[in-house]
Amino acid sequence: DALLGCQRSYRSRPTHGIGRFKYLLPKEVPKRRKEKVQMKEISAGTEYQYGDLNIQMTSYDLCLVEHFAQHVHRLCNRLSIRVNESYAMPTKTNEVLFLEERGSKMQLDAVLTTHQRVVQIRGLSSTFAPILLEIIQSNQPEGVHLLIKEHTEADFKSRLKSRPELEELLAEMS
Amino acid sequence: SAAARRPWRLFGAMCLLRLPRITQPLEKEEEEVAALMEQIELEKSVYSDHEMRKLEEEEQLKRKMESLYDEDEAHGKTVIMAQDLEEKWEQKFLQFKPAPRITDADKSNDRTSLNRKLDSNLMLLVKQKIGNQELWLLPQVEWQPGETLRSTAERAMATFLGDHIQAKVLGNAPYGIYKYKFPRAIRTENNVGAKVFFFKAFLQSSDLSQAEVKADYLWVTKKELGDYLKSEYLKKVNRFLLD
Repeated sequence: DALLGCQRSYRSRPTHGIGRFKYLLPKEVPKRRKEKVQMKEISAGTEYQYGDLNIQMTSYDLCLVEHFAQHVHRLCNRLSIRVNESYAMPTKTNEVLFLEERGSKMQLDAVLTTHQRVVQIRGLSSTFAPILLEIIQSNQPEGVHLLIKEHTEADFKSRLKSRPELEELLAEMS
Repeated sequence: SAAARRPWRLFGAMCLLRLPRITQPLEKEEEEVAALMEQIELEKSVYSDHEMRKLEEEEQLKRKMESLYDEDEAHGKTVIMAQDLEEKWEQKFLQFKPAPRITDADKSNDRTSLNRKLDSNLMLLVKQKIGNQELWLLPQVEWQPGETLRSTAERAMATFLGDHIQAKVLGNAPYGIYKYKFPRAIRTENNVGAKVFFFKAFLQSSDLSQAEVKADYLWVTKKELGDYLKSEYLKKVNRFLLD
């Protein structure tokens, strides 16, 4: 006999909704997909503070660059400098072709990859900035290029990929 | 109030640093750790494309020797073997000679040249006459009212090394200060002593052939500073020098 022996606690049953807990948790704001643009802060005066600064490290050697970026990040943590983000730019591949023209033309290829890591810092006081610069420069490993510059919109936009289909549709609409 | 009662004469001095060109050699423990990590990485790593290709070609060669297959030749891909490439690269590497780490100036211990001690910071010391004595100091010049201390330091650099020095001054704030009182004989109401403010700068170009140096100068490392500077002065200067 196939008797339905399930116990469905319906609304009239006293134990209805006994396991509810989600109403107890704090309200979650739904995540938005759009990225917000950066905030800038320049305050002149005796307490001169830099706004967002980008420390960019480029090299051919991936391990060196990553380790150096980690080192810089930890240094800033130690010195209680606020680090906004630390991200990597896409790698660029260069193909080197040798054209030896002595009789037989040979093309020797070499494939070089350039890696770039960026550490973004905010709230660096101007009295401390040269000391930090000196420390980073003296700890620089061989083969790593260092570049410190202020964060701009162009830097921010260079991380985003362009969507050609979206642009086409927008162009058609307008 | 300090200016009214006991005025000090202010000097701005420039500490010109030449940054190291090579990294310092590793310590014994660092070398051991590096060797160990390399070995671990080697044992954990997987074969790369080049090594796979080499292995495959070795196997093909073996098969050819044993049973004379002609299928491999029909492919025609293995015109350049991976082994040949490796040998070519080895030869190229042997041809490359890196520059020597210990230069001639190191061997002759010529302290006036910039080429020695490529792995540490070099500082400029100049012989200056103060009072009656000739002392080795960081180049300094008296401050004139109306100019910032940083420009005093830049002027000091310019007087001793000529105008076209490519140096980058770090920041507007001084790095250190040394004050001393004049000996009682020279002390007057207005001139009790002097305060020297130190600024730091990095030398950008390593070529000083155009510089007209007006006095005796030396480029020394931090350890050798003790040979030339007086102890009190040295203590204050050492406080802001990184090694």
